[in-house]
Parts: sequence; structure tokens; C-alpha cells
Amino acid sequence: MIITVEGLHKSFGKLEVLKGIDCAVAEGEVLCVIGPSGSGKSTFLRCLNFLESFKEGHVTISGHNLTGAKTNLNAVRRDVGMVFQSFNVFPHMKVIDNIMLAPMKVGKVSRADARSRGMALLEKVGLTNKADVYPSTLSGGQMQRVAIARALAMEPTVMLFDEPTSALDPETVGDVLDVMKKLAEEGMTMVVVTHEMGFAREVADRVLFMDAGLIVEEGTPAQIFESPQHARTQAFLSKLL
Amino acid sequence: MVGLMDFVQYLPPLLRGAGLTLVICVAAGVLGSLIGVVFGTAKASPCFIARAISSLYVNFIRGVPILIILLFTYFALPLMLPALTFSRGFTAVVGLSVYSGAYMAEIVRGGIQAVPKGQSEAAEALGMHYFTRLRYVIFPQAMKIAVPPGIGFLIALVKASSLVSVIGFVDLTRAGRIVTTLNQEPLLTFLIVGALYFVISYPISLLGTWYERKLA
Repeated sequence: MIITVEGLHKSFGKLEVLKGIDCAVAEGEVLCVIGPSGSGKSTFLRCLNFLESFKEGHVTISGHNLTGAKTNLNAVRRDVGMVFQSFNVFPHMKVIDNIMLAPMKVGKVSRADARSRGMALLEKVGLTNKADVYPSTLSGGQMQRVAIARALAMEPTVMLFDEPTSALDPETVGDVLDVMKKLAEEGMTMVVVTHEMGFAREVADRVLFMDAGLIVEEGTPAQIFESPQHARTQAFLSKLL
Repeated sequence: MVGLMDFVQYLPPLLRGAGLTLVICVAAGVLGSLIGVVFGTAKASPCFIARAISSLYVNFIRGVPILIILLFTYFALPLMLPALTFSRGFTAVVGLSVYSGAYMAEIVRGGIQAVPKGQSEAAEALGMHYFTRLRYVIFPQAMKIAVPPGIGFLIALVKASSLVSVIGFVDLTRAGRIVTTLNQEPLLTFLIVGALYFVISYPISLLGTWYERKLA
């Protein structure tokens, strides 16, 4: 198992957002997390690379124990890539520089190698012609694809996606989902928090339904979407379809 | 009424004063900006001690009139520690730098904190150390935000520098006052002094506009 989560609890002050999450993800697996707003999906995802800290529970990801005494968080994040809902592309750098920054400064890769890696990734996401422009000239979908390329530049073993298409208009959502589908086909381990049920149905190996800080139900897309067992799962899905 | 031609003899001392004002303002501006960057970054950092020391410095200096800082540095410090006896010019620069540093620190801190949190998170998620994030991602964006208020402060500094005349440093203001005791022409003299102050401050505004365009 490339990710194991045991008894994960997380509170923001007095508000308990994660009330005990247990989960395991195998290498190459695509796990989609669905659920209503406020269910703790994003918090759960952000705990996986310790962007949110937690005091109770145990998470190992890509061979790192997140709360281990000797764990170097920067090393964890080199192995775990993250894509955000608001893209968070660096506006003051050209697209190619966005992608080259981390490999050069964190990975100690030479400028030439970083650039060729960057151009290869831009080709993968279909944006080679945008290498030398600034992000402000790009559409949301293009920026998100740049963000995906940037995360892939560190050659992670796991990719985390936090509602990657929620801030995009419907026309560009497809472009981003296509890139994610390609990644999944190549065998990348992915944990995706999403509202795109079509994507989850088509690409996920397993789906987790979360509500109020707990995993209510989990199973294959067929199980969850065709025959949900719990009332809350059924209620949530009925509102969407 | 002294003719304009007669006034020309008073221009050299005024220009010398203007030159000295320019020198101390540039020196204090540069030093103050450096101090501001250090303390501003400290105040925005996650380290409690850095924040505490920075707050102490900023709150203390901002709570005291610059005149008092200058008078204290020139007259009181040598009484406390004879080694701390400075010349007028040195006092002027030190006093103005310390004063500027406190205000610049808040401007820099504001700039850093105005950068969207997502930027820092994305950099963190890529495995960057705090200082790496600060240097390549946060700072460039923070500086763009901090330049307009920073330039505004530097322009105010030029005018605040006139206070160094009180410790006897012959800056533009003091030169103007000495000249008026000689020629009894306060109107003309201070008109020229005002114009010279404008000539020193206006290029700073232009510098700000140029820098903002360059960052865009």
C-alpha cells in the first residue's frame, strides 16, 4: 500500500473536521473522494502531504511516516505532488519557469535538464506553444494544466488533486480531465477530491463517499454509483443526477 | 528688495545643502529599506522570537517622534556610552535609517502577507524550504505590492530629513535658514528651498512608476 491512513482525526480549534479516517491506497490506484461541502474531503487530502497538520492518527505515504520524528516534510512533498482548486500558478514567472523552479531549486537539477523535462511535460499537457508566456494570458483550464505539469516536474509517486476542475468553466473542464485520465492510464497513483462524477465513474478504481468528517461508504464506482448502500450516499447522489 | 542677480551668490550654499540632503536621504533610504526587509520578513515569519524582536523594534520606533530619535542619538547617547559619539552627518543617517527601517518593515510585512496563501502552499507542496519559497515565490510578489507605499514613504523621508537641521547638520533646510539671516529674503530663499526639495523628491516618484512598470 503506497498510502495508509489510520485513525486520522483533525480539528480546527474546537471544530472536529475529521472524526477518524481509515483508508489505504495501492500503487497505481485512482481513488476519488466525493461528498458534500464541509464533509472534510479537502482537509483529508491536505493531511496526506501535511499541508494540514494533525495530532491524532497515522499516515504513511510513499514510504514516509508523516508524524515520524525523523521525517523531513520537504522530502515527503518531493514524492507527493498536489494540484489545487485555485491553480496557484506563480504569476511572476513564465510558464516554463514555473515548471522548472522546483526541480532546479529543490531537486538540484541543471537548468538544461529542467528545461527539457519541462518541455516534455508541457507536451504531455498540450501546452508547448505556451512555454514562454506569463500565466496571466492563460485561461483557467490552461493554468490548471500548467499546474499539473509543475507538480509532475518533481517526478512524484503520488498525485493529489483538490477539486481540480471546480473553478473552471465547463468548456475547459474536459481538457483538464483528459490530462488526468492520461496520467491514470500511465499508472500514477492518484487521490482526487472531485465533484465530477463522470470522471469518478470512468477513471476511479475506488470511490470514497465522505460526510461530516467520516467515510460513510466506499467501493468501486459501480458499487457506489449504481447501488449505494447508505441512505446518505443515496441522498447525495440523487441530488446530482 | 534684493534683486534676483544678487541672489545668485546665495545659490552655492543652498545647492550644497541640497546635495547633503540628497546624500543622507539616499543613504537612509537604502539602509532603511534593508532594515525594513529584514525586520518585515521577521515579523511575517512563523518564528515567534523573530516576530517578537521585530515587533519591539517597530512599535518602539514608530511611537517616538523622529526629532526625539535624532536629539537622543546626538546628545544623549554619548552621555550613556562615550564610544557612541557620532558626527552630525553620521547621526543624521543613523537616526533616519533607524526611523525608516521601522516604517519600511511594516510595508514589507504587509506586502508579504498580501501575497495569496495559495502561492505559499503551492511552493510548499513542491517541497520548497521556507527561505526558498520566500526568495523565489513570495518576495517577488510581495515587493510588487510593497513598492507604491515604499516609494510614498521615501518621498516623506525627504521631507522628514529637514529635521536633521535641529542637531546642527547643514542640510537644505538649515542652509536656507542661514541664508535668510544673511540676505533677509525669506520669501525668495524658502521658495528656492521648496523647489529644491521638489527636485529631490519628484525623481523618487518617477523611480516608483518605472519600477512598477518593470515588474508588470
